[in-house]
Amino acid sequence: MSDTFSYLLMAWLDPQLLLLTALGTLAGIYVGAIPGLSVTMAASILISFTFSWDINNALALMVGIYVGGVYGGSRTAILLNIPGAPSAVVTAFDGYPLAQRGEAGQAIGLSTVMSVIGGLIGTLVLAGSAPYLADMALEFAPRDYFLIAILGLLLVSTLSGKSLARGIFSVALGAIIGLVGMDMVTAQPRMTLGSMELLGGIHYVVVMIGLFGAAEAFYQLHNLNVVPVKQKVDKIIPPLKMVLKYLPLSVRTSIIGVIVGALPGTGGDIASLFAYDHAKRTVKNPSKPFGEGAYEGLVAPETANNAAVGGAYVPMLTLGMPGDAVTAVIIGALVIHGLNPGPMLMIETPHIFWFTVGNLALANLFLLLFGLTGIKIFTKVVEVPKAVLIPLILVLCVVGTYSINSNMMEVYWMLGFGILGYWLKVFGFQTGPIILGVILGPLLDKTYRQAMSSVGDSGSDFLLALVTNPLSLVLTAVIVLVLLGQTPVKPWLMRRIRRH
Amino acid sequence: MSQKFERVQAGEKAFDWLLMLFSIGVLVEAYRIDGIPSLNSPGSFPVGLALVMIASSAVILFSHRHKRRDPRIRDARHEFQVFWKEHFQPHIVVFTLVAVAYLVAIVWFSFYVSTFLFLALLFIYYRQGRVISSLVIAGGSLAVIYVLFTLVFRVYLP
Repeated sequence: MSDTFSYLLMAWLDPQLLLLTALGTLAGIYVGAIPGLSVTMAASILISFTFSWDINNALALMVGIYVGGVYGGSRTAILLNIPGAPSAVVTAFDGYPLAQRGEAGQAIGLSTVMSVIGGLIGTLVLAGSAPYLADMALEFAPRDYFLIAILGLLLVSTLSGKSLARGIFSVALGAIIGLVGMDMVTAQPRMTLGSMELLGGIHYVVVMIGLFGAAEAFYQLHNLNVVPVKQKVDKIIPPLKMVLKYLPLSVRTSIIGVIVGALPGTGGDIASLFAYDHAKRTVKNPSKPFGEGAYEGLVAPETANNAAVGGAYVPMLTLGMPGDAVTAVIIGALVIHGLNPGPMLMIETPHIFWFTVGNLALANLFLLLFGLTGIKIFTKVVEVPKAVLIPLILVLCVVGTYSINSNMMEVYWMLGFGILGYWLKVFGFQTGPIILGVILGPLLDKTYRQAMSSVGDSGSDFLLALVTNPLSLVLTAVIVLVLLGQTPVKPWLMRRIRRH
Repeated sequence: MSQKFERVQAGEKAFDWLLMLFSIGVLVEAYRIDGIPSLNSPGSFPVGLALVMIASSAVILFSHRHKRRDPRIRDARHEFQVFWKEHFQPHIVVFTLVAVAYLVAIVWFSFYVSTFLFLALLFIYYRQGRVISSLVIAGGSLAVIYVLFTLVFRVYLP
């Protein structure tokens, strides 16, 4: 027990970790707020710079960036009607009308306090549920891991982008990229096009930096000359009465955020949508109609997207599956440092888990501090013109990619993925599912083959195991239901039920 | 009964066909791993993924039946012109060309020289000729990159 407490408080008591968490959170707020930069981009580039660091230092910085970045997106959503991050898209619905009414300061203050409440609830749920889930996960068969990974990829395909088909294509493309290189069992080359260079595979950080960094730089060129409308910001600390008024809603939407965040592959953007929908359905008398500056429409998504951060860590630390794109990057950081994300992490390196919990709580407190101060500097910094920002993003991508293996070929690959990512984004494909595919592809391949080996390579026995084992049966049923939910069967069934 | 159709972007159909061709290419490459794979061979999963890509590409192409072209686009030639105008705007083309030239230049010149030139050129171009301030910002950015990555993060630069 005393060990647990010392791990929990490690980031709070070590000056270096304290400083890195504070720096990360502050940087995250700006990264999340500046349109064109994103948390995933920052984490992807940062991972390559922290290869040689102590794991705690690297994690402290990334946790700070993650927590700050998810919140930071709301600032520009409120002030400029430009969400700095996908998780802040919904925040703009009511946040910007509030700013237009001259209540930008109050809106930013309230969103800060609610984000912290959401973040702390998410952290509490992580601390309370993850050890039990990890214990359960030790009993999972490879077949169950395979099904959970399929479910995660299916969910991310369903919930992101224009259509299910585009989502599925993206995850399959990502998984194929993840499989390039030598087969781990037979050392046979796979998808290498006969190239010796590709035998070692394509480093997933290269793909991440290309798809999240370079692609975004190309994509932002379309908005090069967009001039945002500036808003006046005054007092931002919200009155206690106001916080207490919206507290019940924030607790409810935090729970929604944690649950959605904990589903492998989903994240703050989807959590905020669900929470906004919940607020619209349950709040009978909002302060203003939704979409016209209702504080409820601001509180719900802001609490949920920060609560989703704690939620996203649950599958990452217990199953080794990313809760969202940022945790996919953090999984990479853990693997690079020789750690094993999944149920064994709790047994082999419990300090990493408790350190992360304590660090998340600390980052939320820094969020409160930085969120309620420095607004004048902030409004100046976010106005940095894209003409300056976009070339700098590409330079950062080059430096980040080169620092992985000091290999210029990987820099060319990064640019290639950047151009591919640009075209995919243009035509409605999301890049997040591709990254999840890259991370989960090798895991799917491994667990599938282990599962097949365990039934003597018999397809019928494999299928039988899916319906005879209780956990596998539940997971298979959920996968079938999610798939059916995307077909005309669902509306047909709903009509039949209504008729009877 | 009126039916609402989704709009198809200029070039979207051609892109989706390219994805189908790419998926077929992936299947051929996956097949080359070990021919017709057994259920538990190195090629089984890649072949399965390639089939998923082909199936989803087919669904995407099929979904074009429910989409309509922008009524302002007259024919295929006009669609190509719209596509070209939208995605090959001078500032996008310039960025792409300068970016490729920058990556090539890194190998020939030093990282610092090529990065300074890359930043200065694009800043001057995008900021419509404000030369002095663009050079100052490029120089300042390079100084920050040096301090941050060489002194703080201690990473190898190209």
